[in-house]
Amino acid sequence: MHSIVIKNLKKYYQVYQKKPGLLGSISSLISRKYKTVKAVDDISFSINEGELVGFIGPNGAGKTTTLKCLSGLLYPNHGQISVLNFYPYDRKNEFLKNIALVMGQKNQLWWDLPPIDSFHLNKEVYEIDDEQFKKTLDELTNLLSLGNLISVPVRKLSLGERMKCELIGALLHRPKILFLDEPTIGLDVVMQKTIRDFIAAYNHRFKATIILTSHYMEDVKELCKRVIIIDKGKLLFDGNLSDIVKKYAPEKLLSITFDKFVNIRDLANIGDIKKYEYPHAIIAVKREDTSKIAALLLEKFSIDDLNIEEPDIEDIIRRVFSKK
Amino acid sequence: MQKYIQVVKNTFAEYTAYRLNFLLWRVRMVVRLIVIYTLWQAFFSSQKVIFGYSESQILTYILISEIVANFVYSTRTQDLGSEIQQGNLTNYLLRPLNYFGFLLSRDILDKSLNVFFSIIEVILLFIFFKPQIILVQNFGHLLLFMTAVFIGVSLYFCISLTLSLFSFWTQESWAPRFLFFIISDFLSGGLFPLDILPKAIFNILNVLPFPYLLYFPLKIYLGQLTSQNIIQGMIISLLWLFMLIFIVKKVWAKGLRLYTAEGR
Repeated sequence: MHSIVIKNLKKYYQVYQKKPGLLGSISSLISRKYKTVKAVDDISFSINEGELVGFIGPNGAGKTTTLKCLSGLLYPNHGQISVLNFYPYDRKNEFLKNIALVMGQKNQLWWDLPPIDSFHLNKEVYEIDDEQFKKTLDELTNLLSLGNLISVPVRKLSLGERMKCELIGALLHRPKILFLDEPTIGLDVVMQKTIRDFIAAYNHRFKATIILTSHYMEDVKELCKRVIIIDKGKLLFDGNLSDIVKKYAPEKLLSITFDKFVNIRDLANIGDIKKYEYPHAIIAVKREDTSKIAALLLEKFSIDDLNIEEPDIEDIIRRVFSKK
Repeated sequence: MQKYIQVVKNTFAEYTAYRLNFLLWRVRMVVRLIVIYTLWQAFFSSQKVIFGYSESQILTYILISEIVANFVYSTRTQDLGSEIQQGNLTNYLLRPLNYFGFLLSRDILDKSLNVFFSIIEVILLFIFFKPQIILVQNFGHLLLFMTAVFIGVSLYFCISLTLSLFSFWTQESWAPRFLFFIISDFLSGGLFPLDILPKAIFNILNVLPFPYLLYFPLKIYLGQLTSQNIIQGMIISLLWLFMLIFIVKKVWAKGLRLYTAEGR
């Protein structure tokens, strides 16, 4: 069953442009020029219940705009959206009770109060009964090992601690749909890992449908089987993460450890030498020629070890974005 | 209902986090009150009656207007402006919570706190200056006075909301608000009773919403209005209120369509 369906979604913004300097400011008082920015331009996809999908694209690709349309914050210019069979912009209570949007760069918790006060407000807002509230809160604080920190005013928490509390606040009502917009931004690697594990655990335990955007490929690699790539408001790819490699990387990497010294010139016509520091070499070769070349190498040189590897996903994505 | 009670509780907790801020705001209000009060007292040192008001009438007007003004003007609706501009409105839109109910809950707390303190201040001032205060004459007047105050509070709530809603269109919602506040302080009768103005100006003012924020309820309190005056005032202020509610609803719905939930 699809829990999210988007068809031909378009969202355009009017952005007013100001010429630089004082004169520009004055002329902007009299007449303003507006430019249409196509933040999301004709995107379609659907997501099944319980899926955890990675949503990637460079800055300004339209990821956040799409998530905002899906959560009912933005009024789409065109297209159909259905989330749990609701039209998000109507913002029906039944819809809102089943979703959550967490933005890594925004707070929902009250800045001057301890998180627990905000949690209590959410308890009432989402009409969670006492027992379930206590159970969920204990479970989530344990998963994130937060302890007493929920009684410290938010402004005194570190970024990582705050993010953990934001997640708890957003999940107390156990949303069936969760939109995560860069939840690991600005966090150290240990904290990133904690948050990542937590997201995976939440996905499993509550069978929640999750869309995750992140600039850290680690997040996506570890959590998502399926990815959707967009750039400049257009959909570039929608499918399994492993298929991106096949689609966008025409080559594989041969990782070789030589027994005896080999002159770099002897390797030149084999393929694209990515790196050579004796005894180790990495050579990119055409996907279809891989086994042939590997056999040739083993025959021609004295080799201690040879591995055939897929190129790094991060490299490929970078290539996808810089292509056009 | 429970959710809005929790909003009130959290708002209270928030205020206790910034005690000094609140205290200084009160100090500002007291200083303002003392200035207006002593100014009028000075006028009366040479005359018994000014613009048809006796000393005790004016001083009662000033002191009671202090309490009413705290009730009418204390609001958190101005927060909406920055919530829109910084994209924090998102937090409320995403939850099954009525944003106006949320603001109203915060206002109830804000008004209660401010009125509570202003009553204490007025009592202290009373003990200190010992002015002759006129008490409300009968229960009927008290009831009408309270009704008028309630309308005034609602009017200001809507006006302030409308000013905040400008933020959907412009980044500069602070300037119109500041301008409005100065004009309204003057035109609502916070500094002096409006009927000392020339008749022509006074008549124009009467069809605007301003006098119904302060002047109108206070005149009812003092028992200086005829039944005809009162009925006319109630009708005009209610018409304004309905119109403003309509405007707020329309502008809110239109603004939300433009809302970009922006912010870093």
